[in-house]
Amino acid sequence: MERWALASGLKGDLEIYEQIQRDLKRQRGVETFFVLGDLIGPGQNCGDLLNRLRNPLRGDLIPQCIYGWWEDQLLAETGFRGDRKAEALRLNQGEDVVEALLKAVDSSHRQWLASLQFGFIELDCGLIHGSSADVSDELTPESSPLILLDRLTRLDVNRLFTARCGKQFRLELTGGEIDSHVKDLEGQHDQQQVVPKRTIIGIGAGTAYTLYDPGSDHISFLTAGSTSVSKRLGFG
Amino acid sequence: MHHAVISCLHANLAAFEAVLEDIDRQGIERITCLGDLVGYGPQPNEVVELIRHRAIPTCQGCWDEDIIDGLNACECSYPSQLAERRGHRAHQWTDEQLSQDNKDFLATLPTSLRRGRQLFVHGSPNSQHEYLLPDMDAFAALERVETAGADTLFCGHTHQPYVRELRDGSIRVRVQSSDSSQSAEQELKLPVRRIVNAGSVGEPRHGSTKATYVIHDEDNGSVEIKEVSYDVERTCRAIVDAGLPEVFAWRLSHGFEYAERAEDASHVCER
Repeated sequence: MERWALASGLKGDLEIYEQIQRDLKRQRGVETFFVLGDLIGPGQNCGDLLNRLRNPLRGDLIPQCIYGWWEDQLLAETGFRGDRKAEALRLNQGEDVVEALLKAVDSSHRQWLASLQFGFIELDCGLIHGSSADVSDELTPESSPLILLDRLTRLDVNRLFTARCGKQFRLELTGGEIDSHVKDLEGQHDQQQVVPKRTIIGIGAGTAYTLYDPGSDHISFLTAGSTSVSKRLGFG
Repeated sequence: MHHAVISCLHANLAAFEAVLEDIDRQGIERITCLGDLVGYGPQPNEVVELIRHRAIPTCQGCWDEDIIDGLNACECSYPSQLAERRGHRAHQWTDEQLSQDNKDFLATLPTSLRRGRQLFVHGSPNSQHEYLLPDMDAFAALERVETAGADTLFCGHTHQPYVRELRDGSIRVRVQSSDSSQSAEQELKLPVRRIVNAGSVGEPRHGSTKATYVIHDEDNGSVEIKEVSYDVERTCRAIVDAGLPEVFAWRLSHGFEYAERAEDASHVCER
């Protein structure tokens, strides 16, 4: 079965994107490439990367993009999110960074960015920048398992791929249960529910990307540009 | 001390008066209301004014919010286009009837009230539009209570009263990170938490035409679900006289099986 490549957090860096594309050419069976948001950032002009994403070169694995936190902030600031502005960015990083973000992305790209989806559902997997709750939701290995399970339940998927925290990790819900006692006007009854076996995968950011084989459920965490597709940890 | 919690009054004055009388007869002085003072029913001003007169702490329900902010729920709130049209008709009628003073009052209502580790909301801590049904996923239900920092969550919105205790929970996880080939397994013991749904005073949907509310004993934590008979005819007549859709009167006089309900009650409108 074909494998998927998942990347995020390129933040306008065409060089990193090209490194990942070069790596993917050397991988066997990678036929689908998801870019889970944060295509843009305030640190550099994002035009070259956005042009490449929108108009792939011959031989590029075609990127399927969704929007991330930085796109959401830009779109809010430029009137694509109703009355909302880039308040989270303004609050955390200041007005200068809001201005830098506006300068980094030419207005000709806004409509395309606004057309990007919140996430993809592929097979029994959810692919989202943050989580099913919000694009800003940061899921990490340290997040409460109760919250992780909730984010999986909201999408009704068995695997949730997330990018927001920038880390590469695989967190499996391996077991557990809960008892529920309900009293209503018809009487009382008890239920027991077990934790479904589900997984959250952090795909990394920038040069750190992930390969996933839906057939075997095997995950490889990779770093683009390292020696011979090197920094590699596989989890079957 | 006993504490009464009421919800979903829906402009039904006869039901509200009967419930207040029942509460007063028991000498209960503390009452909390979980919103939806208006909508569907024929006496929005009278119900809001009685809440104000009694100075009952109240949080804002989805109907109260929509009257202030304009209709903001998507069509997913209704099971059919016909039901949606009726809902919109009720919204328009309520908007025309409700005094500006009472609208201003609804606008001041908070989305939640907190008393120690007790949290009071209309739908859920996430949204006035989210339904916490008694059979919803137990882990998701616990997440709503725990994330809100509460031991007991009082809610309404479903019009079905219940008390749900979530206990003896645990979740085991195994974590593998990119910088380690080791995987660590951990177990999280989940806290005991409780959801108390107060049902509905003004539009019961639990299988009977009686109004419902709950009494919470703050000393021993017990919760009693109460049913109260009221003059259903009086409200039905007022609905018809007001020119509201007659189906609102019909379903009040018949009970739950004729009520219209969204097919996916767990859906949270994100518009």
